[in-house]
Order: sequence, then C-alpha cells, then structure tokens
Amino acid sequence: MSATYITQSIQQLKSNIFMHVRHRALLQNVGEPILNKEQLFFIQLPFLDGKPSDDDRKISAITVGIVHASLCEHEKIKEQNATGKQQQLTVLAGDYYSGRYYQLLALSKNIQLIQKLSKGIVNRCEQQIKIYEPVKRPLHEWIDSISIIECELIERYYEAYEFTQYKNVMKKTLTYLRLKQEFSLIKNGEESFFSKQLHNDKFNSPTIQKELQEELMKRQDELKRIVEHTPIQPELKQYIEHLITS
Amino acid sequence: MKLKILYADIKSDIEIIEKELENALSSSSHLLNDASLHLLQAGGKRIRPVFALLSAKFGDYNIERMKNIAVPLELIHMASLVHDDVIDDSDMRRGRHTVKAQWNNRVAMYTGDFIFARALEYVTIIENPQAHQILAETMVELCNGEVIQIEDKFRLNQTVKDYFRRIKRKTALLIESSCELGAVVSGADEKTTRHLKRYGYFVGMSFQIIDDILDFTATDKQLGKPAGSDFIQGNITLPILLMKEDPQIVPYIEKVSTGELTEEERQAMLQLVRRSNAIKEATKVSNLYLKKALAEVEKLPNNPTKKKMRDIALFMGKRKF
Repeated sequence: MSATYITQSIQQLKSNIFMHVRHRALLQNVGEPILNKEQLFFIQLPFLDGKPSDDDRKISAITVGIVHASLCEHEKIKEQNATGKQQQLTVLAGDYYSGRYYQLLALSKNIQLIQKLSKGIVNRCEQQIKIYEPVKRPLHEWIDSISIIECELIERYYEAYEFTQYKNVMKKTLTYLRLKQEFSLIKNGEESFFSKQLHNDKFNSPTIQKELQEELMKRQDELKRIVEHTPIQPELKQYIEHLITS
Repeated sequence: MKLKILYADIKSDIEIIEKELENALSSSSHLLNDASLHLLQAGGKRIRPVFALLSAKFGDYNIERMKNIAVPLELIHMASLVHDDVIDDSDMRRGRHTVKAQWNNRVAMYTGDFIFARALEYVTIIENPQAHQILAETMVELCNGEVIQIEDKFRLNQTVKDYFRRIKRKTALLIESSCELGAVVSGADEKTTRHLKRYGYFVGMSFQIIDDILDFTATDKQLGKPAGSDFIQGNITLPILLMKEDPQIVPYIEKVSTGELTEEERQAMLQLVRRSNAIKEATKVSNLYLKKALAEVEKLPNNPTKKKMRDIALFMGKRKF
C-alpha cells in the first residue's frame, strides 16, 4: 500500500460524501462541504489496515464524514448579523447534512450508529459552547475540549465497530494536529478557538505561545512512540508520521 | 375554547412529555442548560406531541413507549425554531428574546445542534426502522422547505402552487409525520395510519395558512413580535399572493424588499391587508383544508379519540393567535 493509494482512498470517501449531500441550491450558494482530510484518513484507517468492509460499513464511514461536515458548516456562522443569503443557507446546509446522515443510517437500519453519533454530537456541542461560558479554565481543560471536538465522533464510530485499537493513535494525532494549527494561528495573530477564549482568561499571547509550544514538543515525542507501538501496517505508520512532521 | 381544555384527556401524559423534555435538554454545560430552559419556559402549543399521542390511541397506546416519539418530535421543532431565528434575524419569539438575541448566533447554532442530537439520541430507543425512515425524511424535507423559502423571498412572480409546495414542507410535513409516527409506533393498521397521515397533512396546511393570516391580523402583543414580521422578512404568503394585483400593496412590497418600510408604513400596510378581501379568501382556503382533514377523521375506525381529533382540527382552523 502506497501513500498514493491512501490518498486515493481518502479522495474516494470525500467524493462519496459529496455525492450523498449534493443539493443544487446549497452547492450554488454555500459551496461544497468542508472536510478535514486527516479526519477522513482516520475514518478510513481500519479498512486501510485490512478490516473487512461491506456496504453498511461504507455508508457508516460516509455518515461520520457527513456529521463532521454538518457541524463544520455551523462554525461558519458569524456571531452577529448572519443575515445575508449565504449565511442563511449555510445554517440550512448544516441542518440538511444532519438530516441526510440520519436518513442514510435509517435506510441502512443502523440505529446503533445513530445513537452513538448523536451522543457524540451532544458531547461535542457541550465543549464548543464552553468558549461562551464566563468561566476561567486552565490550559489542559481547553486541550481536553479540543480533543473532544476533533475526535469524539470518530471515537464513537470506532466503538460501534470495535475498532478501538485505533482510538489512541487517532485521538493523539488529531489533537496534536489541531493544537499545531491553533499555535500557528496564534503566532500569526489570527483568531482561533483558543485565542478567542484564552485572551479572556489569564493567558496573554506570548505566554500561551510558549505553553503551547512546550505542549506540542511533549506531544510530538509521545505521539511518535504511540505510532511505533500501534499494531498497524508500516505504510500507515509512515503516513501518520508524515502527518505529524509535515 | 382553550387548547388546554381539548388536551384534558391526555393532560397527565402531556405532563410526562413536559418532564421528559426537561430531562432530554439537561446538559453538563451551564450555557446549554440556560438556553434550553429559556426555550422550555417560552412554552408552545406542543401540537406535534399531541398529534402523535392522539394518533397512537388508534393503536396499542402506551405512554412509556409513545413518549419516545412524542418528545423527539417536539425537540426537532424546537431546534428548527432556534436555527430559524438566526436565519430570520428574529429577536423575539412568543414575547421572549430568542436564543440568538439573548446570547449570539453561534450559541444559537450550538444549541440547535445540541437539541437535534438529543432528539435523535432519544428516538433511538425505538427500534422500528420505518419510524426512523419517516422521521429522517421529514427532517430532510423540512430543510428543503426552508431552502425554498429563502430562494422564494421577495419573489412576487411565485404562484399559489409554489406557496403550497413551500408550506407543505415547512409545516405540514412535521404534523403529518407526527400523526403517522404516532400510528406506526403504536402499531395501528395500515389503513388507519394512512388516514391519520392525511389528516395531519391537511391540518398542517390549514395551520400554516392561519399562521400566515395572523401575521397580518393579530396584534404585536398576541404574536409576541411585530405584526407583519414574516412579510417584512420577505416571505410572500397567501394573503399577499391573493392581493398582489392590487396596486395599493405594490409600494409596500417595494419598500419591504429594499428594507425601507417605516413603522408608520407598516401600520398602514397592516390596515390595507386587514381590510382587503385577501384575508377572507385565504381563510376560505384554510377552511377547505380543514374540511379535508375532517373528512379523513370520518374514515377512521370508531374510537372516542375521533371527536378529539375533529375538535383540535377545528380549533387550529379558528384560532385567533
């Protein structure tokens, strides 16, 4: 299995997701759904690693991607004045994708995954809304929130199919990548999940940059060890290592 | 007659639903709890759970089972209202600040997503795939209705047929599905389920037409928001479609589309619509749907609930706000 094969597999999943949420008016006004290729990789990981796949499992993988796309659309809504047609349709795009994931799983009679994913969405929303709660929280709690936002849905999907051997590497990698992205945004003075809240808390920009950098270094070493000891195919290990270091 | 009097027979079951709604909305997040409580306190007619419960009376009624469909139906309705208020930029609903006005749009998005997810989490207690397929299709079509509504905004060349197509998805479908799901989950027979579904559809259509009439005829206080709000937001509803050839309404439509309608002009526009024949004509259309709903009730098997369904349909069709 080459890196090209892995990339093609991710691309295939992406195309399948697009096909299942295709909607003329939404496509025209909002564009294609936003999908994170690292998350798509971890959705596909069990199959790339040789776990058997069938139609039901393929649909399940697609729906996990659709839920991510749904919640991602709602992240695009401005805090104030979301009155333009594009913003209005973005609200509906998220709701439409949410309806489609439910519809696909209902048609494949996969009630268990509907339950797992809805519980995951509840947890995710509870973490996302925390940035609007007037409570000061230490850095490690914010990192825990980020981890849930990034990984919860894939974790629930792994649970549903007993793919739990991939859970640790998935959580550590996706959390690390998100922290790295947050660090880069803060460094460039751009707004991020972290910067928004941390500036209201005890942290100032240089402090948070320093703490995040230390956290990233610590996590990168830990993650390399985890990847090394995770029983997956060598090409997949290489792919994850590439994600971490690139 | 008040709606609560009509609900008297199932009052204790409605109380169970209210309690379950509270439980379903409880969260580890203080903010989500506050936002949810805010919504629960705003109340509502709870017509979707009521239709589900009444329809279930034609099958094997058991509130412990039926609450698993009645509660999610109300939650889906609540979540869609929270997101609608972002779309419509509405600050008031039922006389209270909306979630987006009390906090902000993003809080409203997370709250709506949370409630949608809770609805689905709750409904998975039901194992019947048919119930899930009905509900899922309803959710998708509900969104399609909303998309069409945005695309049709300020579009005066739309037909009455376009309007019906829109309100079917926007409102009638969820009421239709409430009746159908009540029947399916309680194990009512196919023929009864079909009549209940059609009853829900016709009541839903009548309900929305009355809602659109009340947007012009009710007072700000009765509506809990300024009268004419839907029209001001660009929604071309039946009363306007029925008087669009009237040269007197044209300047108001133009002002609404450019967002230049003053308070004085809003009052004058409301007077014009209220005095027009359009209100009477729209009421006639609503009554036609009501008549069809009542005809479906007649086709249901003999059951004491038949009278209740008739009374509720009539109440919905005659309500003043």
